Amino acid sequence: MQRPVSSLPLSQAVRLKLGSAGFQLTADLLDFKPDKLSKETGLSEEEAVEVLKAVKGGGGGGGSGDISASLTALELLQKEEELRSIVTFSSQLDECLGGGIPVGKITEVCGVPGIGKTQLCLQLAVDVQVPQCFGGVEGQVMFIDTVGSFLLQRVTDIAAAAVRHCSLLAEDDEQRAAMETFTVETILSNIFLVRCHDYVELLAELHLLPDFLSQHPKIRLLVIDSVAFPFRLLFDELSQRTRLLNGVGQQLITMAINHNIAVVITNQMTTRIRDGQSHIVPALGECWGHAPTIRLLLQWEGSRRLATIFKSPCHVETMVQYQITPEGFRDADQSEMAHSKRPRMDTDQSAAEPKDTSS
Amino acid sequence: MNCDQLLLHPRVSAALRRGNIQLMSVKDVVCASAPDLQRLTGLSNSDVQQLITAAAAVCRRHPPITAQQLQHGVSGAQLRLGCPVLDRLLRGGLPVGGITELAGESGTGKTQVGLQLSLSVQYPAEHGGLGAGALYVCTEDSFPIKRLHQLIGEQVCLRSDVPADLVSSLRFSDHVYIEHTADLDSLLVCLTRRARLLLTRGLVRLIVVDSVAALFRTEFQADDWLERNRQLLTFSSMLHHLSQEFSTPVLCINQVTPSRPSLSTVSPALGLAWANQVMVRLMMSRLQGTVVRGDQSSALRRLEVVFAPHLARDGQNAAVWREGLRGVESWTSNRK
Repeated sequence: MQRPVSSLPLSQAVRLKLGSAGFQLTADLLDFKPDKLSKETGLSEEEAVEVLKAVKGGGGGGGSGDISASLTALELLQKEEELRSIVTFSSQLDECLGGGIPVGKITEVCGVPGIGKTQLCLQLAVDVQVPQCFGGVEGQVMFIDTVGSFLLQRVTDIAAAAVRHCSLLAEDDEQRAAMETFTVETILSNIFLVRCHDYVELLAELHLLPDFLSQHPKIRLLVIDSVAFPFRLLFDELSQRTRLLNGVGQQLITMAINHNIAVVITNQMTTRIRDGQSHIVPALGECWGHAPTIRLLLQWEGSRRLATIFKSPCHVETMVQYQITPEGFRDADQSEMAHSKRPRMDTDQSAAEPKDTSS
Repeated sequence: MNCDQLLLHPRVSAALRRGNIQLMSVKDVVCASAPDLQRLTGLSNSDVQQLITAAAAVCRRHPPITAQQLQHGVSGAQLRLGCPVLDRLLRGGLPVGGITELAGESGTGKTQVGLQLSLSVQYPAEHGGLGAGALYVCTEDSFPIKRLHQLIGEQVCLRSDVPADLVSSLRFSDHVYIEHTADLDSLLVCLTRRARLLLTRGLVRLIVVDSVAALFRTEFQADDWLERNRQLLTFSSMLHHLSQEFSTPVLCINQVTPSRPSLSTVSPALGLAWANQVMVRLMMSRLQGTVVRGDQSSALRRLEVVFAPHLARDGQNAAVWREGLRGVESWTSNRK
């Protein structure tokens, strides 16, 4: 590679030292070991290692330099197929997503308050832990809560329902053995929770996350509920907000790829006036829309809850119906679910608006 | 906190001093991008990462804990309403971290709920309270002091689950702090100064704002909604921070407005911007019919859960008696 050394992403002082020692092109540096380089140029060992990393990385360095060799598309396809998706326990939604929430990508869930975004996140936090013999990912989860909606009562309900569901499915010895370790207690012990109270704490947490992920390699899911809540207070400094959000998007996708995790974030809705009419659109602006790979929109249609995949490079834009039961996020298959619901849930639909029940 | 107070490699500290940014706050370091910091300090990438990591470690309040540890620790306490039927609807009561909204038409009993909670918060934790008083902020009518005294007098009747001598020993009226705020500025001042002071001293563990809509609807013109939303966000984020910092439930009473699709139904006022800030949304409505009990009669009400992270969408009929709001278990009332 005949690249001039001055074009590498290094600090000014380092470049000066390299230049004064006579290194003009990256080809000159290829055969050096760090200690020899530091002796020749007067750089410290760490700086020498960094220079060599930047040279070997082909100029894209700075990050964890494991991605030095390039992959063919076939290798990428094989890699993707090996990765399992995280089921949502709503078979219709899983089918549309091609198995579930994909690992290695950012999925955004938008919707109005009360539609079920947090419920989906809690469901996924439990589902990621389903043992591999049941078709799950058997990983841990990191849950960043900025709203305060991570309530233990609800997580326990969802975890208990998932354990019940799996124990009903257990057929062979391997699955029965796996059920020994898949209990409500172990599920709770595999959820790492952080509460962030403003955007600075959220950014700090994201900076510290790569180290945490390296220490806990079993984490397969990162949930941020919600990304919009702390950032919407920055209404006075929109340019700073855009810059920070871009940084967040980049950090998230880097983490998703490097550590092989699925990233799920929730977003709020806001009103946008366009051509004199008001529309309800996802918050945080158009720029943020580019950050997530897949975007799910949850919305009401009368008393039905619908989930739409409205941005995805590999899925058709489809709409499915779902519901939130005491067990968690499920399909809206009325005939199947009606019998297992407790009687009072039948008033679910009528409780949508307060009505005068005069009769 | 400033950068010079961080524990860093001497080379990094020296570079900070050279670049004259040693007084940069850790908050700014976390928010700055790595290339920007590299440019300002002339440090290598790994040194800048070390600086950002050190700053981030300071900004972070708690390291991650597992949900299991949360269970065993000081987890979500709840504030009981005082009626077992309604507390069952709320699965224990109001959660302590986050804004609970109670919306409804006038005359449905929202203020009753606010008053009842101001008393139930004063019980010790084993009886569903939080062992401290309440801050009641009135923005529209004056505080119903007579009704509060009536409720205090009837507490023994309402809270039959608590030993009577404990109820009599509590001096309820001493611990309800009442504020009247007529405009937005004084409301914000009240929250920043008075509320914070009372919370820091542990004198209150409940904030009731009655009502939220009044000030925001009157002070802004129809096309000023952008400014109104900003003020609303400032106000709600202040409430949210107080709630999280002091583990204090916040009850915001809201008015209603005809909802968009059909003007016959109502939905809470202040729109999507406010709804995004609310964690638990409850609605009170009046139903046709009355309930009679002894010599008292009350119009029938319904308390509905519109949304909450831990509650099903359900409702419960209730009535307002001398001792407060109580759930009506079965449909055994006289309907007219």
